[in-house]
Amino acid sequence: MGYIQDKDKKYLKGEFDKNLKEDVYILVFVGDNCQYCSVASAISQEVAELHPKIHFEEHTIGDELSKEYGLEHAPTVVITDKDKYGGRIRYVGLPSGYEFSSMIEDIIDVSRRMAEVSQEVLEKLMKIDKPILIQIFVTPTCPYCPRAVRTSHRFAILNKNITGEMVEALEFPEWADKWKVMSVPHIVINEDVQFIGAYPDEQYIEYVVEAYEKMR
Amino acid sequence: MDFGLVLPTGARESKDVDLAIIGGGPAGLSAGIYAKRAGLEAIIIDKGNAGGLAEEAPYVENYLGFIGIKGEDLVKEFKEHAMNYVEISERNEVEEIKREGGLFVIKAEKGEYKTKAIIFATGTTHKVLGVPGEKELFGKGVSYCVTCDGYFYRGKKVAVIGGGNSGAIAAIYLKDIGVEPVVLEYMPRFMCEKAYENIIKERNIPYYTNVQVTSIEGKDKVEKVVYKDRNTGETKEVEVEGVFVYVGLIPISDLAKNLGVKTDEKGYIKVDLKMRTNVPKVYAAGDVTGYAGQIIIAAGQGAMAALSAYEDLMLH
Ligand SMILES: Cc1cc2nc3c(=O)[nH]c(=O)nc-3n(C[C@H](O)[C@H](O)[C@H](O)COP(=O)(O)OP(=O)(O)OC[C@H]3O[C@@H](n4cnc5c(N)ncnc54)[C@H](O)[C@@H]3O)c2cc1C
Repeated sequence: MGYIQDKDKKYLKGEFDKNLKEDVYILVFVGDNCQYCSVASAISQEVAELHPKIHFEEHTIGDELSKEYGLEHAPTVVITDKDKYGGRIRYVGLPSGYEFSSMIEDIIDVSRRMAEVSQEVLEKLMKIDKPILIQIFVTPTCPYCPRAVRTSHRFAILNKNITGEMVEALEFPEWADKWKVMSVPHIVINEDVQFIGAYPDEQYIEYVVEAYEKMR
Repeated sequence: MDFGLVLPTGARESKDVDLAIIGGGPAGLSAGIYAKRAGLEAIIIDKGNAGGLAEEAPYVENYLGFIGIKGEDLVKEFKEHAMNYVEISERNEVEEIKREGGLFVIKAEKGEYKTKAIIFATGTTHKVLGVPGEKELFGKGVSYCVTCDGYFYRGKKVAVIGGGNSGAIAAIYLKDIGVEPVVLEYMPRFMCEKAYENIIKERNIPYYTNVQVTSIEGKDKVEKVVYKDRNTGETKEVEVEGVFVYVGLIPISDLAKNLGVKTDEKGYIKVDLKMRTNVPKVYAAGDVTGYAGQIIIAAGQGAMAALSAYEDLMLH
C-alpha cells in the first residue's frame, strides 16, 4: 500500500505521458530527527515510478549537493533538470495536501523546460539580474497557497536568479514565527519584502521588483 | 498528519469552445459535466483551484450521499469526476471579456478563449466587517479562512465573528483541532442550522448573541475584540489571539456586469428558473446568483445552466 491511490496514479500517468518532454529529477534531502523525511521520499519515489523520465534520488542535508544548492532543512524536495534549474525550485517540508498539485505541475513545467507568463510580466522578470529568494509559507490545508508557490516556481524556471522555496509552516513553527506567519500564503522575498495572499502574476512581480530595487 | 494529496488538472492551452464556464466551484464543475455530456465543447476556467469555496468547508454534512465528508475530499470527488469529461484550467484568472462578432472573447492570465456562450459560476468572496483594526491586523491575527490558518492557534483563544452557518462550522472545526473559539453573533439568537446549534452546545463553545463588534485591537497582533452588548448598551471586550471573520459573502459579478448582465442591488446575478440572465447566451449558477449558498444547490444550478446553454446553442 502506497501513499498515492491507484486511481490517482492512473490519472497522473496519463498527464505525464501527455506532457513530459525531458528528464526531471525529484531530489529529496533527508536528515536526522526528521518526522516527515521518509514520507517525502516514499511519495516522491511513487511519483517517479509513474514515468521513465522522472528520476528519484535521496540525498542528505550536509552533503555536497545540499551545500551547492544552499539547503539546510530536512526534508527539502527539489524538482530540477540537474542543470540550469539547480536547487531553485524547492519545497521545505512535505509537499502534501494542496501542495502535492504544485509539485506535479512543477514536474511537468521542469520537464517542458518552460513556464507561461504574460509578456508584460516576462519583461519585468527578465530585468532581475541579482539573486532573489522567494519564500512562501503555507499550510497543506490552504487552497489558495499553491497559486503563490507556483508563481514563484514559474518565475524560477524563467529566470536563473530566482529561487522559489515553499516552507510548510506547521512543520517549521519557529521559522514561521520568525516572520510572524499567522495567515497563509505569507510570502517573504529576500528576507525583506513581505505580503500575504495569492495574487495574480502582475501584482506578485511588483513585490519581486520592489525587493530587487532595494538591493541596488 | 493526514492531508491527502490533491491533484492538478493539467490544462494549459488557449482554445475555442462552445461554452466557457468561469469558476470551477461546485456550480462550474457540475455545469462542465452536463455540458460535455450534452455534446458541447466546454472549458472550465478558475483563478485558483477548481473546487471553489467548498474547499474551505471543514466538514460537510448536508450533501446528498455523504453523511459527513471534509470539503476538501468532497471537492476532490467533484473535480476528478469533472476531469473525466472536461478540461479545467486552474490558476487562470479571467481578466476581461469582450464581444467579437457573435462570439465572446475571454482574456485570462494563461490565454485567450473564444466562446459562443458563458456560464458565470464565479461564486462569492468573504465580506469584511469594516471595523477599525480589521484591515490593520489582517495577517496578524485577523483571518477569513479557518482551514488555511486555524492550526496556528492551537491551544489559543480566538473569536469567530458571525454565527451563521459558515461561522458555526468554522467554530466547530477550530474546537476540533484544539483551538478555543468564542462565537460573536449580532442577532439575538442562534443564526445557524439547528444541527450546528446542537453541536455548539454539546461541545461547550461559547456563542454570544446581541454582539455588535466595534473594533479589533492589538499592538503588533490581535489582543482583543471590543463590542457593544446590544441588550444592555454596555461596552465589553474579549481577549483573544485571533479573529476569524464570517460575516457573509459578496458576489463576484463585475465581469458579468460589464457584459450588461443585470444584478440585484447587492450584486447577485439575476437569473430565471433556467439560469438564463438577461443577456442571451450568458448564464449564471451557484452562489453568485444569491440562492441558498449551499453546495448541492450550486451543483444543481450548474447542471441547469449547462442544459439551458445546450438548448440555446444546439436546438435553436
Ligand atoms: C466555512 C464554510 C463552510 C461551508 N460549509 C458548507 C456545508 O457544510 N455545506 C454546504 O452545502 N455548503 C457549505 N459552504 C458553502 C459552499 O462552499 C458554497 O455554497 C459553494 O462552494 C458554492 O459553489 P459555487 O460553485 O457557486 O461558488 P464557489 O465555490 O465560490 O466557486 C467559485 C469559483 O469561481 C472562481 N472565480 C471567481 N472569479 C473568477 C475569475 N475572474 N476568473 C476565474 N475564476 C474565478 C473562484 O476562484 C472559485 O473557485 C461553506 C462555506 C464556508 C465558507
